[in-house]
Amino acid sequence: MKKRKAKNTAVSYLWSAPSLLLIALMVVFPILYTGYVSLTNMNVYHWFDFTIVGIDNYIRALFVFDSGFLTALLATLLWTVVNMAVQLVIAFVLASLLNNQKLRLRKLYKTLLMFPWAMPGYVSILLWKTGMFNTQFGLFNQWMEKAGFTAARWLSNDVSAFLCCTLVNLWLALPFMIMIMDGAMQSIDRSYFESALLDGANWLERTRFITIPAIRPIIAPAVIITIFTTFKQFDVVYLLTQQAGAKTGSGFHTILTYTYENAFVTNNYGYSSAISIIIFIMLIVFSAKYQLREEGDE
Amino acid sequence: MKRIVSALLCLCLCLGLASCGQKPDAEGTKKLTIWHDKEDAVIEALSDYLSAAVPDLEITFEKKTSLTDSLKLVGNDPAAAPDLFIFAHDKIGVFAEMGILTPVTEFLEEDTLTDFLPMTLAAATYEDQVYQLPLYFETLLFMYNRRYMQDDEVPSTTEELLSYAQANTGRGRYGFVEQHSTAYYSAAWIHGFGGSIIDEDGVPFPDPQAVKDALAYHLKFVALMPGETEYNTVNTLFLEGKADATIGGPWLVPSARDAGIDLGIAPMPTVDETGKALAPYSGVQGIHVLRFAAEDKKEAVQELLTALTAPSVGIDLALASGCAPANALCYDDSRVAGDEFVQAMRTTAEIAVPMPNIPEMDVMWTVVGNLLTDVNLSGKDIDSSFSTAADKAKELIDAMK
Repeated sequence: MKKRKAKNTAVSYLWSAPSLLLIALMVVFPILYTGYVSLTNMNVYHWFDFTIVGIDNYIRALFVFDSGFLTALLATLLWTVVNMAVQLVIAFVLASLLNNQKLRLRKLYKTLLMFPWAMPGYVSILLWKTGMFNTQFGLFNQWMEKAGFTAARWLSNDVSAFLCCTLVNLWLALPFMIMIMDGAMQSIDRSYFESALLDGANWLERTRFITIPAIRPIIAPAVIITIFTTFKQFDVVYLLTQQAGAKTGSGFHTILTYTYENAFVTNNYGYSSAISIIIFIMLIVFSAKYQLREEGDE
Repeated sequence: MKRIVSALLCLCLCLGLASCGQKPDAEGTKKLTIWHDKEDAVIEALSDYLSAAVPDLEITFEKKTSLTDSLKLVGNDPAAAPDLFIFAHDKIGVFAEMGILTPVTEFLEEDTLTDFLPMTLAAATYEDQVYQLPLYFETLLFMYNRRYMQDDEVPSTTEELLSYAQANTGRGRYGFVEQHSTAYYSAAWIHGFGGSIIDEDGVPFPDPQAVKDALAYHLKFVALMPGETEYNTVNTLFLEGKADATIGGPWLVPSARDAGIDLGIAPMPTVDETGKALAPYSGVQGIHVLRFAAEDKKEAVQELLTALTAPSVGIDLALASGCAPANALCYDDSRVAGDEFVQAMRTTAEIAVPMPNIPEMDVMWTVVGNLLTDVNLSGKDIDSSFSTAADKAKELIDAMK
């Protein structure tokens, strides 16, 4: 019996081997290699002849975590919380509307709502920057001028840049969340709602006691994934406000845009890898804490 | 049957992998791969010239959008890297320090480069070694739209330019626009005040007061320009006739012609306070040889580089895409001599400063970009912003090592 069980386990691993190998190559190896590089002096002056220098890079990396880094860390936390809260509310409302049985042309709306997802993020971000926020040619300023207001520099200060980045991030991220929530809502047995209606429950009560508890376990992985992609956001903030040659005057940084400007531009891969590993550990700790809490709740 | 096919495929794969590590055979040494990031017209002109000049070589041009990043990854791997690459000179220091470049002088006769413009040779030299064979160069030019700025209105000094901008800016129009908060453009103003971003020893801002003076003076112009500093906004304003004059590169000329602009080119204005002209950075585009290609394909590389030193290649490039050739003999050709824009660049080359090619410059683009953003766009105090930038420059340069 034991022998058979061991054989089954071996066969299972054998079948999973190609996927495991792929994961090892694409996920585990880069992390391990970054860890290895972080212990070396690999930089422009020692590109191919680098040697192990121990934890020197980690000691130096701590200097990057200055007040600027802490400000960026707090801004990143705020950015993650605001984006997730707004995203969940809007996605929930839109998914609820899409699940309204009386809604006509539902498939058309779903397709339109998925549209931002179909466009490459880089293109979307630059379209927003030049087409919407540009002070000279942007749509927002054209509306402002038509309404009799003076043109605004939307991306020039920290608060407005934060809000504009949030808007673009929502545009990019909402399709995923709407799709997940829509799928989760469709999986709820209609009989729950019918019973609740017979019991006299209103929309708010049905949402609170049926919809949210039913979709929660389904959307939880999507929420965790989105939290991490939002937390380690680089493209939106960098391309809108911090791109070399096209800076806007905003000082809003996420931890990744901050470390890019303060470490990655140095071409010192050992030093940059040490910073990457520290940020990676921070994310792992954050993830473990969140998942443990989720398990505790269950 | 399936097993036989699988076995054959495995054999092919193994043979393919095994062949990757082999040294090139006699035929292979005649094949050269050149990476570049240039526009099609330049590469077509080069390709046509080389197929006639060195018919025995099999040359392949491969366009790479992130050429420098790719070279950092595979620069010492003969199986993945090219034999040569065409790029601006400002990365020479980085690649030389990495140890992937070979000086081009190892393949050329001693006096081959004597006819090249001194500015281009200075740009190609890092630590007394010439690592690039210059082909052509680019630099910023003062351009104006003759519909709005007449030839006799063209400012010869910065004060005249300021007066013109003040008189012609407003109600959606600009007298003068430029990418005021990017390091590449602002360097001209810093040089005009006698300063520099970094010296050849890697010391950032060797004359701090000159940089501060330039920033303070330049602010008067920034106030008359749009808040956006990026390429598209500035160029669109000029191309749509909403800006009378600009400082731009030769890459703007074809678009201006297409837009039907009666384009004028003038010498850079002189700073009244210092008597020096605004001296822009110049970028010298040329060909670099990778170390392993120098070892494995020496004869082919030598043949190619020798062919590229001839003036005719520079003439072809100038005629095909308006490039300013690095070889001074090209300007004797009547067609090149008659090209107003090429001649303007040659004149500007006399005052232009080659972009520093030392590795430390890599971090200075970010430092100066932030300094300009703080002063021009965020309205921060010049002294404190400069002090922050100087500290950051030292910190990042230290972090490179």
